[in-house]
Amino acid sequence: MSHVIEKTALETSACTQLETCLTQACQRIAPTWPLDQFIAVNPYWGFVDQPIDCAAQQLGQLSGTPLVMPRSFYQTEWRAGRLTQAHLQSAIDACRADCKVDELMECLTFTSTSTSTSTSTPPKTSAMLLVTTWLDSQRDLSHAVAWADFVTHQISQHCAAYFDVSQAAWNPPRVGLYASWVHQMSNDHSTSLLMGRPGFSQKAASLPQEPRALIGAASLALGFEFAKGAQQCVDYYTALLMSINGWASWCAYERWQARLGTVAGWQDDDAIVELLAIRLGWEWLLLQDATDTKIAHQWFADCTRHAQINNALNKQNKLDWLLQDALERAYQQPLCHGLMLTPTVPLTSPPDVQAIFCIDVRSEVFRRALEASSSTLQTRGFAGFFGLFISYSPAGTAMTRPQLPGLLASSRSITDEWDTPHDRDAPSLGQVIAQRRKHALQRRSLWQSFRSTASSGFSFVETCGMLYAGKLIKNTLSNTGTPRTVEQTGLTYDEANASRPRLQNLPGLSQEAELQSRAEMAAGILGAIGITHDFARLVLLAGHGSQTANNPHAAGLDCGACGGQTGEVNARALAALLNDAAVRTALHTKNIHITDSTWFLGGMHNTTTDALVLFDTDLMPISHAVDLQKLQLNLAHAGQRARAERAPALGLAHLACDAGQLEKTMKARANDWAQVRPEWGLANNAAFIVAPRVRSQHLNLAGRAFLHDYDYRQDATFGVLELIMTAPMVVTNWINMQYYASVVDNVKYGSGNKVLHNVVGGRLGVFEGNGGDLRVGLPMQSLHDGCQWQHTPLRLSVFIESPQDAIDSIIAKHTVVRQLVDNQWLHLFQMQGEPSGLAISRYAQGVWKPVA
Amino acid sequence: MLVLFDYLQPLRASLLWLVPMLYLLAACLSNWQVARFSSVLALALSAASLAALLSGGPLIIYSLRADALGCTVLLLVSFIGWVITRYSQNYMAGDTGQMRYIRWLMATLAAVAVVVVTNHLAVLALAWLATSLSLHQLLTFFGHRPAALVAAHKKFLASRLGDVCLFAGVALISWSLGSFEIDQVIRKAQALSAYPPALKAAVYLIVISALLKCAQLPVHGWLIQVMEAPTPVSALLHAGIVNLGGFLMIRLSPLVLEVGGAQTLLVVVGSLTATLAALVMMTRISVKVMLAWSTCAQMGFMLMQCGMQAYDLALLHLVAHSLYKAHAFLAAGGAVEQARLKIMSESPASVSLSQLAVSAAMGLAMVAAAGMLWGMNFEKLTPIWVLSAIVSLAIAPLLTAQALRLGGVWPLAMVLGAFGVAFAYSGLHHLFSGLVDLPRNNTLNLFNLIWVMLCFALLFVMQCLIRVRPRGAVATRLYPWFFAGLYLDEWFTRMTFRVWPARLYHSKHQGHTEIMKGPVK
Repeated sequence: MSHVIEKTALETSACTQLETCLTQACQRIAPTWPLDQFIAVNPYWGFVDQPIDCAAQQLGQLSGTPLVMPRSFYQTEWRAGRLTQAHLQSAIDACRADCKVDELMECLTFTSTSTSTSTSTPPKTSAMLLVTTWLDSQRDLSHAVAWADFVTHQISQHCAAYFDVSQAAWNPPRVGLYASWVHQMSNDHSTSLLMGRPGFSQKAASLPQEPRALIGAASLALGFEFAKGAQQCVDYYTALLMSINGWASWCAYERWQARLGTVAGWQDDDAIVELLAIRLGWEWLLLQDATDTKIAHQWFADCTRHAQINNALNKQNKLDWLLQDALERAYQQPLCHGLMLTPTVPLTSPPDVQAIFCIDVRSEVFRRALEASSSTLQTRGFAGFFGLFISYSPAGTAMTRPQLPGLLASSRSITDEWDTPHDRDAPSLGQVIAQRRKHALQRRSLWQSFRSTASSGFSFVETCGMLYAGKLIKNTLSNTGTPRTVEQTGLTYDEANASRPRLQNLPGLSQEAELQSRAEMAAGILGAIGITHDFARLVLLAGHGSQTANNPHAAGLDCGACGGQTGEVNARALAALLNDAAVRTALHTKNIHITDSTWFLGGMHNTTTDALVLFDTDLMPISHAVDLQKLQLNLAHAGQRARAERAPALGLAHLACDAGQLEKTMKARANDWAQVRPEWGLANNAAFIVAPRVRSQHLNLAGRAFLHDYDYRQDATFGVLELIMTAPMVVTNWINMQYYASVVDNVKYGSGNKVLHNVVGGRLGVFEGNGGDLRVGLPMQSLHDGCQWQHTPLRLSVFIESPQDAIDSIIAKHTVVRQLVDNQWLHLFQMQGEPSGLAISRYAQGVWKPVA
Repeated sequence: MLVLFDYLQPLRASLLWLVPMLYLLAACLSNWQVARFSSVLALALSAASLAALLSGGPLIIYSLRADALGCTVLLLVSFIGWVITRYSQNYMAGDTGQMRYIRWLMATLAAVAVVVVTNHLAVLALAWLATSLSLHQLLTFFGHRPAALVAAHKKFLASRLGDVCLFAGVALISWSLGSFEIDQVIRKAQALSAYPPALKAAVYLIVISALLKCAQLPVHGWLIQVMEAPTPVSALLHAGIVNLGGFLMIRLSPLVLEVGGAQTLLVVVGSLTATLAALVMMTRISVKVMLAWSTCAQMGFMLMQCGMQAYDLALLHLVAHSLYKAHAFLAAGGAVEQARLKIMSESPASVSLSQLAVSAAMGLAMVAAAGMLWGMNFEKLTPIWVLSAIVSLAIAPLLTAQALRLGGVWPLAMVLGAFGVAFAYSGLHHLFSGLVDLPRNNTLNLFNLIWVMLCFALLFVMQCLIRVRPRGAVATRLYPWFFAGLYLDEWFTRMTFRVWPARLYHSKHQGHTEIMKGPVK
């Protein structure tokens, strides 16, 4: 035993090897964003460098997580007729699998009548053997707490206390995640009390003080060698991090932010390594605790045997992926046929209204409804942050938050402004309001401290507790009003309504340079959106946001492209920028001519109630009053249609024909504090279409497709295409994979049952229930309606209308794109308009194959 | 007129009986429509019975009891019941166990209603047992979660221990006084010149059962960990059930008043729980667990008030805390918005200890002034002295220098706000003293008062130290202990595992997805 626990100093070469192993293992963990900026992340992001089926095999071995649904799911699809023999055959043909279609059908038709369902499901790949799980396998878990659960809980509580700045009033000293853990463990009594293993605290006190020293020493003690078994080491570290995946993801987020460089002076973040050290520290302590040598030897033996078992599962995995591929083909085939039917009648005259929406799948329903309500209206799709690399600081507050995709860093800021009457002497209205708001917020937080501090709580309850009866009644009775948002706190109703978010000047820039910079920004954005001439009289920039109450995951329903916020700020700021006469003049030099007959209008699509509000209409010239009226009418009609279409999925099918009642009910749902399914968000997303709208306008895409307008004829250098394939395509993959992972393994990559959610640290994430690991991903209620899944896990099918070689060269140029496409983390199709119609080809390992 | 009231008496009795009956009906039918209808009707009946009380005075008939305490708490319970039923219908939508959920939710409410309306001690004890057993079904609603089972198991043990105490106490009371009817028991007890040992023992047993059922230290763990049940169940437990111990104390206050030791027990355990749990609360990192520790502290405070013979304030605390805590739990999802607000507000400037001391003195003056405005009598040393002092420490944060340095009219608003709190406190005290029978010739226990004052002064000092010097020796040395909840629950859990271990089912299926946890063989 002594050789096992002996601490060994690492040589320099071993140090470098250790560092390589650590980098590789930490890279495997995808970040998770805090709840107030809850954007979607592909949780398999660290594995996209491998083909998806290999990654699945590896993930299964590391943590037991599956990447495909259980067989019963495909059986249901088969019985419902959504999956047919033709789909299976086409999946087999595509990958030239040495497998007969009968074999696949056998998997699907196997009826599990009397015995358990497990016979039709292949045996699960078991997780890599960790000391905790291995010890648990030798314990009577029906009468004792599992080590795996205990260790997870202990680390989780520690991390929460360490990273929390919002919830607790009394925090531990921030001396490093690992160092504070060692300190805490050496004073801990819970292990001896709860698990009946005394002596842990003494052992913990003698642990190395440096996280890397611990990792080195513990790895050696556990029998890992960096030189010979580097891969084994990486796998073991990854498995350890994945056993505490929630907090590992949080640490990965801290590292992501540090590397994005958004916080000045923040070099790199090492918390994830420290977390690994903590988890490995537990393994080491537990193995030391297993008193006799036999047990340690047995662990090593079991480790080896595990690796052998896992390799035998390949065949079943292949069948799984064929079924998954067949299911995706079942979706792709009708979509391809639909797209091929494109009626080629391009618009000859510019429309009256151009409405630009976010690519979000929820926009598709509304856009279709809006197009149906007016023939002179054109809709376009573009990422909902409208190309503004901004952060937003509400006036008079200490908050600054990014309003752009999480992959990017902001370069400009936006704050609220108020129209000031021209009076040079007085301080501007904005400053006055900001100051007043600052005081109002301070007063609020003082009152908050009266409510929540230890010694005041008793008196607060006695004097103010009865007032909560009123709040209970108000929240219980249904309410169809529009509640004020958190961002408006501290402002009066009028102040909030009169505020206008506006782009701020870059510090240290002359007036002229600033104008040039703004004009460049405007030209770049218009070029990316694809409207540089023939502007309509009204151009609507419609951001989107949700409206929910009492929902910890509310930000997840907002605009992901705006960093999990509503798109209001971006839409309004861009509209103001493009309405600015000086900017318009400066744009002439860039050959973009916006005349006085064009007006840009910011708006926000409320995805929960399908209302679309317009902003700053008071600034609009009188010449556009009629256009505005017409647009508002069309928007109201579109809202009705969209609501009627969404009603059945929300269980409101009986109201689909009663527009008034349906609107009221949806508004009441949006304000209902007990509503766990206010809207379906991006559930059931499956496709991303990059093409002019005419390609898809005749299709009902059922809110399953992201739509990005793109005309390759206007993109001579394919710079815009490159942007689309490296940014929106990656983002849509992240969204798609977040939903996918939350469905196939809600325990590891989803956040479980909403009725048990318990917000941690105000914004870090949620626990399911009392404790356990931090939960990432989507809650069950966002995916499942109680009877069936509302999201079918399909990999994204991307359709791009552009020449093949342009796409090929972008794939060749960008590693990330190549990995996503070649490793089948998404399906790529190319569309080509031809005299006879539209031709579609599928990308398969560098080769384009025409779709019949 | 009197004849008319006699005629109406059976009607009023039926008002009381109908409330639990309605819940029971809904429990049998297990249907959301019926549950919603029943909970609205029960609320209306409770309000009607309070109205009848106001016009017709207290009534005791057919082992039922309509008095100010009973009607107030009945209205509270049926109000919370109505809110929770409406909330649960949407919240639990789509869950396969909804029928089971309605059944036990309604059964729990029925049992609580019986506890509140009965005048029969044995019925009360049985109904309380039924409350606990029905609640157990709700706490283990997700029976595949080991943590849920451990917590529910601990609750089960603590509650059964409480039940044993209660049943023994009730048996001893009826044996020594020859009746189960509460009013007769009290009348007979008041006629006694000195309590026989059996009766004294009975009072001790009942006090202990209240302490056990109000989750006082060190058997508080189950209350903290029942976050493993759906949110509305937590709300129901924290707002409508855990405080029944306080209800029992107020109900039987004439008996407890005669046993000084029992009161001291309430004061010591209650105030220790209140102060320690309040400090632990400061370290909690998740919203629901923080709320649970807060409940634990508040229950301690309520029982402490009972021990100090301030039954009116204990009732106020019971009612106000229920409403506050029900809202806090049901709205717990808003924690993210609260965090956003915290980020938006600039962190307040630090205050010094001396500034806090000055604010505490200002608070004291305000409370005294408010009390005098309401005609409070400060001449004689009474528990209200001590309790008012606690209020003055509480409003101190509103009167700190940073509050008075806010711009515009805010300083004035803060002072007025603080005074408003003091004024409301005295006013509510005035109002609630009319609701319960307060002791006329109470014997003052000086030890109790000094103990309480010491506890809360220490709490105030501790809290100020932690706030002013977060990196000081006191804050850093004590943090690990309070973060660990003083290891009290670990100790209790260990005991339960030894004495009567919980059976944990490691199920393969969790909800709709397979759970990968558990033993890997």
